[in-house]
Amino acid sequence: MLPLVVKRITRESTDIVSLELADPAGAPLPAWEPGAHIDLQLITRQQRQYSLCGDPNDLGTYRVAVLREELSRGASMYIHTFLREGRTVWARPPRNLFPLLPAGEYLLLAAGIGITPILSMANDLKRRGAAWSMNYAVQDDAHLPFRSEIEALGNAVTINSRDRAGRLDLSAFLAEVRPGVSVYSCGPARFTDAVEEAMQHWPARSLHLERFEPKPIVALPNADFTVTAARSNVVVEVPAGESMLHAMKGKDLPVTGSCLRGICGSCAVTVLEGAVEHRDSLTSDPESRIMYPCVSRALGSDLVIDL
Amino acid sequence: MKTEFRKLDENDLRERLGFPDAATTEKIMDHIDASCLTFLAHSPFLCLSTSDSAGNCDNSPRGDYPGFVRVLDDRTIVIPDRLGNKLADSFLNILDNGHVGLVCFVPGMTETLRINGTAYITDDPELLGMLEQDHVTPSLATVIRTEEVYLHCGRALLRSGLWDVEMQDLAKEVPTSGTMWAEASGLSAEVGKLIDEGMVGAYNTLY
Repeated sequence: MLPLVVKRITRESTDIVSLELADPAGAPLPAWEPGAHIDLQLITRQQRQYSLCGDPNDLGTYRVAVLREELSRGASMYIHTFLREGRTVWARPPRNLFPLLPAGEYLLLAAGIGITPILSMANDLKRRGAAWSMNYAVQDDAHLPFRSEIEALGNAVTINSRDRAGRLDLSAFLAEVRPGVSVYSCGPARFTDAVEEAMQHWPARSLHLERFEPKPIVALPNADFTVTAARSNVVVEVPAGESMLHAMKGKDLPVTGSCLRGICGSCAVTVLEGAVEHRDSLTSDPESRIMYPCVSRALGSDLVIDL
Repeated sequence: MKTEFRKLDENDLRERLGFPDAATTEKIMDHIDASCLTFLAHSPFLCLSTSDSAGNCDNSPRGDYPGFVRVLDDRTIVIPDRLGNKLADSFLNILDNGHVGLVCFVPGMTETLRINGTAYITDDPELLGMLEQDHVTPSLATVIRTEEVYLHCGRALLRSGLWDVEMQDLAKEVPTSGTMWAEASGLSAEVGKLIDEGMVGAYNTLY
């Protein structure tokens, strides 16, 4: 992992701080594109994913934003309470599971802390002179982060809050299908679920989502199965009570996992033979040969993977 | 060798030891203040003392990511239960007698944080959800109401050189856990070796 120094901590709203991170010696950081995130590890060894929300042209700095969540697993509270400027954190190079794909027009829909990938997308679209607009739902001005940066984006942005344009009625807003428009959405589950619900009648692949929490799924009961790693010639027995990823790691297969909840995509493996029950929040095609073994399992008793 | 010696009473003891400074007793708080909160946020390890109602004691190590002891308010802390040996010595004691004592450590720091209080065991799902690590949610947690909280002076750790890297060579002189296990259970050295090999695999599963 790359050691990064916390250069600046800025309070962006009542419950959000941003961190500016840089190489300790000032060396340029790996490049990234809007939508990318980094896995950030704290001195407490807790690892979390944060979308990059700064300027991709500034290779000297990564910026992430962190929401204060008292009832969370602790990393957000650590950052808010104890992290100081000058301290070191560690990061893996950025990965992009939420890239901006070519489209005639872009509609960006963010809520709360979901502004982070959307903000760098908006800046990028504006710079490129693309056709775009953005709606950002927040409670009120006290909960509005990056206020001056968002206001600087101009008329393409509507802030839906108590203090601004009022609440956004997603089902009315998205009732009319807009051909050629790609929608990019990020926010808490209740927001992204509502966007997804409101866009049921839109053409397939119009909606691009980044989730913080796994999509609710109905899964079959867990069963034992066998995985054969074809290239390594290793056979792994996966008991019902263990994840496939965990069992593979136990046999020292070269797999990594990060979110372990089927949302980050870091553990992807290619399936050569056997049917998969996709339980992740990334796969839309049930026949997909890419599987995420942190949550997904074999549908039958055997899988052969390319590893 | 002689194993029975003169037993002191409290008067004898105070004659030998004297009394603590007022400063020492005055630093004992009943709650977690900001400094203790910071200490706990960086502590990955503690020893938990419990006893049953007859006074039979157990002391048991607890370790996890730094900050695993969560502070819910300034009088309430919680320790997640992780994979262990299922003897449940500490839990059975707590059910019988809620009084517990903790010594919490921060690697590299010579002072330790002592916390005494009253504990109970819970399986509250919302609380356990906050204690998830590596995507394993503990099935139990120990909630402690603090009664005494204080920083214990660092002399014991300074004298012991506990955090000195070269001190880690000491571990090489001690029999392996397989050897000790086999000896205690009257098993052969070969079985001890197998236990050691098994422990390598078992230690891969920390949660």
